[in-house]
Amino acid sequence: MNIEKYIEEFKEKFPDIIKAEVVNKKRLMVYIPKSLLKDITDYWFTGLQYRYIIVSAMDSKDGFELIYHFSDDRTGWVMSLNLMLSHDNPEIESMTSIVYGIEWIEREIMDILGVKFIDHPKPNRFLFAEDWPENEYPYRRKIRQEDR
Amino acid sequence: MGKKTIVPIGPYHPLLEEPEFFKLYCDGETVVDMEWETGYNHRGIEKICESKTFEQVFYVVERICGICSTSHPFAYANAVESIPGVDIPVRAKLVRSIVGELERVHSHLLWVGLAGHFLGYNTVFMWAWKYREPVLDMFEIITGNRNNYAMFTIGGVRRDVDADKAAKLLQVLDDVKKKTNMLIGAVMDDPVFHARLKGVGVLTPKDIHDFGAVGPTARASGVDIDIRRDDPYAAYEMLNWKVITAKEGDIFAKAEVRLLELLESISMIQQCLELLKKEKEGDIKVKVKDIPPGIGIGHAEAPRGEVFHFVKSDGSNSPVRHKIRAPSYTNIPTFRKSCIGGTISDAAIATAAVDPCYCCTERMTQVYDYNTRKRILNAAELIKLSQKKTQDIRDKLNLSSSTDQTWKV
Repeated sequence: MNIEKYIEEFKEKFPDIIKAEVVNKKRLMVYIPKSLLKDITDYWFTGLQYRYIIVSAMDSKDGFELIYHFSDDRTGWVMSLNLMLSHDNPEIESMTSIVYGIEWIEREIMDILGVKFIDHPKPNRFLFAEDWPENEYPYRRKIRQEDR
Repeated sequence: MGKKTIVPIGPYHPLLEEPEFFKLYCDGETVVDMEWETGYNHRGIEKICESKTFEQVFYVVERICGICSTSHPFAYANAVESIPGVDIPVRAKLVRSIVGELERVHSHLLWVGLAGHFLGYNTVFMWAWKYREPVLDMFEIITGNRNNYAMFTIGGVRRDVDADKAAKLLQVLDDVKKKTNMLIGAVMDDPVFHARLKGVGVLTPKDIHDFGAVGPTARASGVDIDIRRDDPYAAYEMLNWKVITAKEGDIFAKAEVRLLELLESISMIQQCLELLKKEKEGDIKVKVKDIPPGIGIGHAEAPRGEVFHFVKSDGSNSPVRHKIRAPSYTNIPTFRKSCIGGTISDAAIATAAVDPCYCCTERMTQVYDYNTRKRILNAAELIKLSQKKTQDIRDKLNLSSSTDQTWKV
């Protein structure tokens, strides 16, 4: 797979992406604004038939970072979409309408980080018990620093 | 539609001995909807990893799963080593593949046994688990443990497979291969298996894509994916093997894929052992000084499918974020497709068909007499007992005890 050509074509198709870089051997990371998530997910998952892997979420200095991982099993490349949500308003559209299997991880991220997924079909607790305190998210930075 | 009845399975599963909770909504005998609850086993391992050094994380992720305890270190090693771009010695690659494939053999044998047990066919259960035992003994000889092998480290492996052990392993494999062939014959020709499993819990390639299902679950539906071939790691590029697939997508196809994979795995280990002879003994590790800032994405093909690890490093000695995705995370949701529309009794085997792993490991450290509450064995004595057992196996196989396998209590 010619990755330079792929990135070029990808940029032509989605000119609003922030940047696309090869982070490691066979690993592409595309940084996008959150408005592009639905279109690219649809293009990769439905159009190119990439396999959905998982979403990694973390609390970083500038906001909540969500990384959607997909895999192109024909070439072995792992393609990731990286987007940032602000600390004040961590909201993003749920991708369950496109990727059925994404339901669990979105619920998990709601539990651990408190990111809200709009239009999620079943936005209740996933990992934690129903009586887990409201507004307490163990993977947020403040809690991590207290831990150390 | 008539009145719906809720049939609960769990939180303690009657068969799997792992906590999860399925709610089957039934109309008569037919399952019309299902819900599940998880989180009974959540141990916050991703969070724990953030407070460990890169080296220590290996021993934490190994304890995610008690059955496939090499697959997580495998994916984690792939992820971490990709950050500085470490190229490990060929001998280490071969040893990694040997451990990985041996694990597939014991895990698939375990599943075949359980599948027989779920169907009320306990002879298969006893056979499969009996033939699995010598494989676990071999693990004990090579790594020192039946499970949680502690073999991996950044830049290679921690113990070598020397010529003595390799010869014994070959002997045991020959025997396991014969028994596996017998088991395959017995299962594939059995009319009960055919009647019970064919056409049950069918998953189409579209279902597999929608849920992102992986491993034998996907391959049994004709989706030809295998990380070992698609994104080769360790020694898999050097070996001659094929990816087993089936078209039907039912539970029989899943059993078929797993059984035939057993033979592929045995052949792969034999090839690895042959290649080991060409490499210098002891050359099993390269020194990796530190992990620079960056992102590492690694995956590996576990017995149940792709294990995925995402590691972010900021240049310190521990990961800033470590995301782990086990194969069951995307395989278990397929129950919605495989169970709904079937009967309650089919749901039991359909939920077992993806070989779900709810990540359980329990540890016994003390044994008390139930009546007198008097302590019979403590942790140190149990460790001594386990070491004595390892030594007994070594004596039986005429292997001398080596220094790398004596532990301090």
